[in-house]
Amino acid sequence: MTPLVSIRSLKKYFPVNGGFFSNIEHQVKAVDDVSIDIAEGETLGLVGESGCGKTTVGRLSICLMEPTSGEVYFDGVSIHDLNPADLRQLRPKMQIIFQDPYSSLNPRFSVERIIGEAMTIHGLADRNNLKSKVKQVMDKVGLPSSFMNRYPHEFSGGQRQRIGIARALALNPRYLVCDEPVSALDVSIQAQIINLLQELREQENISLLFISHDLNVVKYLSHRTAVMYLGQIIETAPTDTLNKNAAHPYTQALLASKPSIRPDKAGKQVHLSGDVPSPLNPPAGCHFHPRCPEATDRCRVEPPATRRIEHQHTVKCHLHE
Amino acid sequence: MPPLLSIDNLSTSFHTDDAVVKAVRGIDLQIGHGETLAIVGESGCGKSVTALSILRLLAMPPASFDSGSIKFNGNDLLHLPEKEMRNVRGNDISMIFQEPMTSLNPIFTVGDQISEAIVLHQNKTSAEAREHVLDLLKKVAIPSPETRIDQYPHELSGGMKQRVMIAIAIACRPSLLIADEPTTALDVTIQAQILNLLSSLKQETRMSILLITHNLGIVAQFADRVAVMYAGKIVEESPVETLFDNPTHPYTRGLLNSLPGDDRERKLESIPGAVPHPSYFPEGCSFHPRCKDIMPVCKQQQPPEINMTDTANHRTACWLYETTSQENS
Repeated sequence: MTPLVSIRSLKKYFPVNGGFFSNIEHQVKAVDDVSIDIAEGETLGLVGESGCGKTTVGRLSICLMEPTSGEVYFDGVSIHDLNPADLRQLRPKMQIIFQDPYSSLNPRFSVERIIGEAMTIHGLADRNNLKSKVKQVMDKVGLPSSFMNRYPHEFSGGQRQRIGIARALALNPRYLVCDEPVSALDVSIQAQIINLLQELREQENISLLFISHDLNVVKYLSHRTAVMYLGQIIETAPTDTLNKNAAHPYTQALLASKPSIRPDKAGKQVHLSGDVPSPLNPPAGCHFHPRCPEATDRCRVEPPATRRIEHQHTVKCHLHE
Repeated sequence: MPPLLSIDNLSTSFHTDDAVVKAVRGIDLQIGHGETLAIVGESGCGKSVTALSILRLLAMPPASFDSGSIKFNGNDLLHLPEKEMRNVRGNDISMIFQEPMTSLNPIFTVGDQISEAIVLHQNKTSAEAREHVLDLLKKVAIPSPETRIDQYPHELSGGMKQRVMIAIAIACRPSLLIADEPTTALDVTIQAQILNLLSSLKQETRMSILLITHNLGIVAQFADRVAVMYAGKIVEESPVETLFDNPTHPYTRGLLNSLPGDDRERKLESIPGAVPHPSYFPEGCSFHPRCKDIMPVCKQQQPPEINMTDTANHRTACWLYETTSQENS
């Protein structure tokens, strides 16, 4: 079966200017050679620390940014090569939910307009049936339709995130990027939104790219998990395998650092020393070697290749040759 | 031995043009010597205001203390003259703030900022203070302290800045350290480093810690006792193991059940609705509109504080347990 979304050797370098008169001196390699597939109806979790490039991968995958090189295929079509008109045809099929429900909604638009705008633009609704279509979507995400004429500031964080989800779902997408959709919410509200995403995914058979730094949430929601470190995917595995048999030392450390409400059950404690290096100047060899408890001389010079160690389990580490 | 800090019936409110916001509504808390007490709750529940009230760091007006006392070593901090209060801040009680990025002064070096408290409270010359600062930087595990001491905050990473904040906080060997969401702004691997550092410092100095957080995982690993706050009140307080093994208040249960755990088949139990706005708390128990065990009495009267019988020091504010406690008494 061909995957719905297929990311191939994707790179995104951001130039950093040295100053007004100087030429471009440095590049931040935000995404550095990332390849990954997302199947129809599958949820792929993408985890990593801040600045590792997970949001950039999400945005590139729905063509909100142009990559430096590499391709993203959506249903077999390379989206970054499409002309603007064809891309526009495809847009409703790929949608995104943003992290911050406070800044991602236009404060001057009513809920009806926020949800309905894209439907009108893409011809999914006209003036006569717009209200009823918006109402349908609002029902789906659990917003009372009496809120249709209200403005974003009248809502709580959880409700705003529901509006953001409704806006994305209004176009019946097949692929949805969720960029930290629950990070800005309180715990009791997080559960509401996670349950909602889970239900919607099952009802509509949407493929999700779920970006988060919260390993517990990713573990709960995703079928497969990919771990990023400094612009590269260093391990991919089915979520259960990853949690039980993490192969990369970084993944192991991430799992061990996660505060658990059952600390006695938490496995071995691997704590990382040092900070995440600057992506401006990543370490030579394996990017993780300065913090890796098992680093060898080889790790300092030679970047590891991605190897398959099991069905669906790949890892980028010299330890697993 | 009396507790190090004892808060009795503290109420703090903010007076705005539109309304009076009652952020903290009559809470009682004790922190023993060498103990770590965690306050957990969602945003707006009053946990940070409680911490700021202890140090009297709230601007008055708009803030005011409506009732209560905060006894620290026998003195009521709420009625201490400002001059004496300055001797307490940073010396006996110090605080780590949530955002290391914005709580350091960008135009002073790290060394200057750490030595400020030392020079102020311990009558040391700046040369003596510098030695002390180097020791502190070593203690909080900052690599190459001799270089770092003369650097400015923008030259440090987030985790490093939080270490500097901790160094400032422990500079005068306080007996109480208030840590307000010390790791919320940090990545998980750095969070683990900072929590380990705080644990080892605590063992070494025997200081008490008041930890404020919304992360129940951190509470489980770090605290001895925990108080759950909701809408300006403490709804449940207990030793940490008890809270996770036998939560009694419906809000605490809801919080624990809403965390994604190991069982992926289990649907997360969410608490319906949202946290009420602090200027319009509901009548009766403030949790009743979201509670699934609601009874008629919950809408009318505030629940009493009930001592649970499973362990000592387990109290919960909920009408559900009213009958059981009467039977026992």
